[in-house]
Amino acid sequence: MTTFGQLVFSGLLIGCIYALMSMGLTLIFGVLRIVNFAHGEFLMIAMYGAWAVTAFLGLNPYVAIVAVVPAMALFGVVVHQVVISPGVDKPHLVLVFATMGLSILMQNVALMFFSADLFDVPPMFDGQSVIIGPFFFKAELLLGFMIAVFCTISLRWTINSTYLGKAIRATVQDSEAAMLMGVPVPRIFMIAFASGSALVGLAACVMMPLFSVFPTVGLNFVLIAFVIVVLGGLGSIEGALLGGMCIGIVQSVSSYYIAPAYGQLFFFVLFLLVMIFRPEGLLGRKGESTVGIN
Amino acid sequence: MRDSLCLSAMAAVIALLSSGPVEAQEPIRIGILEPVTGSASKSGTENWVAMQIARDMINDRGGIPNHGRKIEYVFADVPTPAAAISETERLITNDGVRITAGSGVSPLAIPVSQAAERHGVFHWETAGAAEIITRRGHKYTFQVGPSARRYAEAAVDFTVDVLTKKLGKPLADLRVALLWENRAFGKSVGDNIRRYAATKKIKLIYDEGYDQTLTDMTPIVQKLKDAKPDVLLTISFPNDAILFQRKAKELDFYVAAHVGVSAGYSNPDLINSIGNSVYGIFVSDFAVEVNPKALAPETRKITAEFIKRYQAKMNRSPAGHASMAFAGMWGLFTELLPKAKTLDSDTLRAVALKIDLPEGSLPNGSGIKFTNHDWKPNAKDFGQNLRAAIGVWQWQKDGHNQVYPSALATHEPVLVPLPKWSER
Amino acid sequence: MSVTSKSTIETKPRRASPGRWWMKPGHGSVSWLELALLVACIALVVAPVPHSYQDVINITLLWGGVALSWNIAGGYAGLISFGHAAFFGIGAYTSTILLVNYGVSPWLGLWLGGIFAAAFGITLALIGARLRGPFFILSTLAAAEVVRIGALNWTSLTGGAEGLWITPTKSIANMVFASRSAYVALVLGYAIIVYLVSKAIERSRYGLVLFAVRDDEDAASAAGVNPLTARTGAMGLSAFLTAIGGSLFAQYFQFLDPTYVISPELSFQFALLAALGGLGTAIGPALGAIVIMPLSELLRSYLGAAFQGLHLAIYGGFLVFVMLYLPGGIASALERSTGRSKETP
Repeated sequence: MTTFGQLVFSGLLIGCIYALMSMGLTLIFGVLRIVNFAHGEFLMIAMYGAWAVTAFLGLNPYVAIVAVVPAMALFGVVVHQVVISPGVDKPHLVLVFATMGLSILMQNVALMFFSADLFDVPPMFDGQSVIIGPFFFKAELLLGFMIAVFCTISLRWTINSTYLGKAIRATVQDSEAAMLMGVPVPRIFMIAFASGSALVGLAACVMMPLFSVFPTVGLNFVLIAFVIVVLGGLGSIEGALLGGMCIGIVQSVSSYYIAPAYGQLFFFVLFLLVMIFRPEGLLGRKGESTVGIN
Repeated sequence: MRDSLCLSAMAAVIALLSSGPVEAQEPIRIGILEPVTGSASKSGTENWVAMQIARDMINDRGGIPNHGRKIEYVFADVPTPAAAISETERLITNDGVRITAGSGVSPLAIPVSQAAERHGVFHWETAGAAEIITRRGHKYTFQVGPSARRYAEAAVDFTVDVLTKKLGKPLADLRVALLWENRAFGKSVGDNIRRYAATKKIKLIYDEGYDQTLTDMTPIVQKLKDAKPDVLLTISFPNDAILFQRKAKELDFYVAAHVGVSAGYSNPDLINSIGNSVYGIFVSDFAVEVNPKALAPETRKITAEFIKRYQAKMNRSPAGHASMAFAGMWGLFTELLPKAKTLDSDTLRAVALKIDLPEGSLPNGSGIKFTNHDWKPNAKDFGQNLRAAIGVWQWQKDGHNQVYPSALATHEPVLVPLPKWSER
Repeated sequence: MSVTSKSTIETKPRRASPGRWWMKPGHGSVSWLELALLVACIALVVAPVPHSYQDVINITLLWGGVALSWNIAGGYAGLISFGHAAFFGIGAYTSTILLVNYGVSPWLGLWLGGIFAAAFGITLALIGARLRGPFFILSTLAAAEVVRIGALNWTSLTGGAEGLWITPTKSIANMVFASRSAYVALVLGYAIIVYLVSKAIERSRYGLVLFAVRDDEDAASAAGVNPLTARTGAMGLSAFLTAIGGSLFAQYFQFLDPTYVISPELSFQFALLAALGGLGTAIGPALGAIVIMPLSELLRSYLGAAFQGLHLAIYGGFLVFVMLYLPGGIASALERSTGRSKETP
C-alpha cells in the first residue's frame, strides 16, 4: 500500500510540473490557435538560462525566476514578431512546419554554444527528501507542485478578472468581433505568445533542480507536453493541470506494475483512447476537435 | 679525375637518397566517422578529441615508426545510421580513404563498418560494443574496443570475487539486481550479464530494461526498493544515471554495492551532478588511471601525455570510451601500420591477425589479439579483440581508482557496504 | 484553371484552406518541367556518376517517392500526418523479417509490408475520423511512437534495440545488388510509379472527392460525398506506398534500427519535403526532395566537420524562412516566377 501511495503521490507531483511546462503550450493554442512545435526547445533555452543565472550569478534557481521569466517573455515577443505573425494569416501547416524548423535551429544553436555536455544545478537540502508519513517527497517537487497550482489559480484569476483577461477571452471567442470592439487583437496575440513563453521560463526554473539540461532535452519533454495539452483540452489551463496529474500518475503506476521498458507507451495509448472517446479532452469544449483550427 | 668526382657525386647522392627520412612520402589518410551532432554527440565529440590527440602525438614523434609517414584525418559527422552509410561511402569514394575508424555507438558502428566492408575498406572500430559487429562474416572489420561481453563479465566477476567477500555474504545468498537501458548497448550488456551470471549460478532477483527517455525514475526506484537487493548492476547513459541517483537518494533506496557499466557512470562529469554521493560507486570500464605497473615505461609516458592534453582541451579527465579511442588509434599507429608494407586491406588484415600483444601494451591497459574464426564460443566471430582490458574502478575521494582485477588494481575497494544516504 | 489569389473577401483570416493557394487538379498532359525532370533522373541513373553522388541520388529519389506517398494523405486529403515513419518502418521490417527468417523474396515481401501498413493506416484514419488539425497530427505522432516502442521491445520479432540486418548474398531474387546503379534504378522506378499514381489521382474523380473533402468537408458531404471513405482510402493508399519505400530502404541500407527508422524525425522529414515542395500537387514533393535532400546532405558533408551543429542550424533556419515566405513551397514559387501554369503541353 505504501508503494502504491508513493507512486501516486510522486506521479501527482511530477505530473503537476509537467503541467506547468505545458501551460504555455495550451495558452498559445487557446489564443492563437497554433501548435508551437518548438515548445521543447523553448524549455531547453529557458533551462540553459536558469542554469546560467544559477552558475554564474550564484543565485538559487527559484530566485532566478525573476530573471528568466521576463527574458523568456522578451524572447517570445521576438519569436512572435519574426516567425509567428508572418504565418498567422496563412494555413496552419505553415506555422507547424515553421516552428519545426525553428526547433531544429534552436537545438543546433544550443549545441554550437553549449556543446553536448549536461549541466546541472545543485539540489536543495543536498538531495534528501521531506518525509511525510511513510512517503518521501523531494523539496523541489513539492515546491514545483505548489508553484504549478499557484500559477493555475493566478492565470484563471487574470483571465476572469482583469481587462487583459477579458480581452483575451474576447479574442478567443471571436477575433473579428473583438477587433470591432476595439480589442487590439494582434497585440493580444503577441501578449499571449509572450506569456506562453514566460510560462515556459517559469517551468524551466522549477525543473532545473530536477533535470539536467543538454541540447536535445526538449525532445524528452515535448511529447509529454503535447499529450497533456490535448488530454486536458487544448486551450484549457485547468485542463493542463488535470492532464498533467493524470499523465504523471499513469506513467508512474504503469511503469511499476507493467514495465519501465515501455517508457512513454502508456500515455500514448491513453492519448489515443482519449482521442477516440473524448477528443475534446477532459475539460475542452465539445466539438473543438472537429472544428480544429482550419 | 672527373670520373672519380662523378662517381663520388653519384655515390653521395645515392647515399643521401637512401638514408634520408622519407618525409617526402604522402601522409596516410584515415577516415574518421563520429557523431558530433544528434543524440550520441557527447560520446562522439569526446572520441573525436581523443583521436585527434593521438594523431597529433604520433605526428610530433615523426609519424609512423618505420615509415615516418604522418597521419592525416578526414572527418565526417554521422548523427544517424543513414548518414553513417552516406558519409562512409563519401569518404571512401570521394576522398579515397582506405582505412576508416570510429564510430561512437553501436547503431552507428554497424552501418559504418558495413559500408566500409562493401568497398573492401579496412575498418578499425574503437567504440561500438555490439557483438554482431564481429559476427557478420566481414573480412576487414576489426573491433579493437571491447565487446559488450567484456563489460558484463568484468561486472559479474567483480561481484563474485570481491563483493561476496567484502559484504560477507556467500554467493548463494547474495541478492543481485540488474537494471539496463533498453537501447543497443544497454541491452547487449544486460543480455551478457544475464547469461554470464547464470553460468556462475547467480539468480537475479530483479532484471528490467527501461526506456532512457523516462523522465521520472520513481517507479523503477520504488520497484528496486521493494526487491531489496544487495548489489545493483546498472547500465545507464549520463542523463538517466543522474536521474536515477537523485531519485534513489530522494526515496532513500539503499543498496550495499552499486556497479555501473561504462557510459553514464564512467562519465567524469557525474560528480558535478550528484556531488559526494558518487563516491563508492563502482564502474566496469577501462581504467581512467591505469596501474603504472601494468604498463611499460614508454606507454606510461604516452598515457600521461594523453591525459594531460585531454584535460587541457576538455577540462576533465577522459571517459572510458575516449581513452579507448586514443588507445585504439595509438595501437593502429604503433603496432599495425609500422608493420604494413602497403596499405591495401588484405595486407592490413594479415598484419592485424598476427598481432599478439598482452594486456598492458596499449595506453589504456588493453592488449590486442583478434579472433579469426578460431574462438570456441562462436566460430563465426572474426575481428574481436580478446584482450580489451575491462576492469572495475571505483569513484574514490582521491580519484578514479582501479580496484579489480587484482593484477591491475591500484587501490582497495572502499565504502563497502555503502553508507546510508544521510552519510554520503 | 488555377486559383492563384486568395479570396479578397476574407472574413476570418485563418480560415484560408490549405488547398487554394496551390491546388491545381492537373488536367492535360505532362508538362515540360516534368519531362525535363524525368530525363534528368534517367540520365543520373544511366550515366557513370561517382559512387558517393549515387548515394545522395538514391536517398533523394527514395525520399522523394515517400514524400509523394505522404502527399496523397497530407496534400490531397488534408490529413497531415507526423507518423508516416511508422508505415515506413512496417514496410521495412516486414519485408526484412520475411527475407531473413523465412527466405521470402523482398519482391513479394514488400507487398505484404504494404498491406500491413495500409491496414494500420486505415485504422488510424478511423480512429481519427472525428479529429482535425493538431488533434489529428498529434494522434499520428502518438500512434507512430507506439509502433516504435513496440518494435524496440518486441525483440524476438524485430531484433529489438540491436536491430535487424541483411547479409548481402547478392541476387536479384533477394533484391541485393552488387552495383549501386541497380539500386538507383529501382528507386527511380518506385518514385516514378508513385508520381504516376499521384497524377492519376489528381485527374480522377477520386482526386476531386479528396480535394473537396480537404477544402470544405461539410460542403462535400452535402454534395453526397462520404468523407470517411475518402479519407480512409487516401490514408491507406499513402501508407501502402510509404511502406514499399521502407522495404526498398531496408534492401539498400541492409540494417534496421527502430530508434532511427521509426523516429519522429523521419516522419517530420517526409512531411517537410512535401510541404517545402508544395502540397497538393504531384510535382511539389518531387521538387522538394530534389532541392532539399542534396542540400542537407551537402551541408552536412561540408560543414559537419567544422562547427558542431552548424549545418543543422542552417538547415533549420532555411526551413523557417521558406515556410514563412514561400508557403506554397518551391512549386508555387516556380510557378509565380515563370508566370504561367505548369500544365501547358
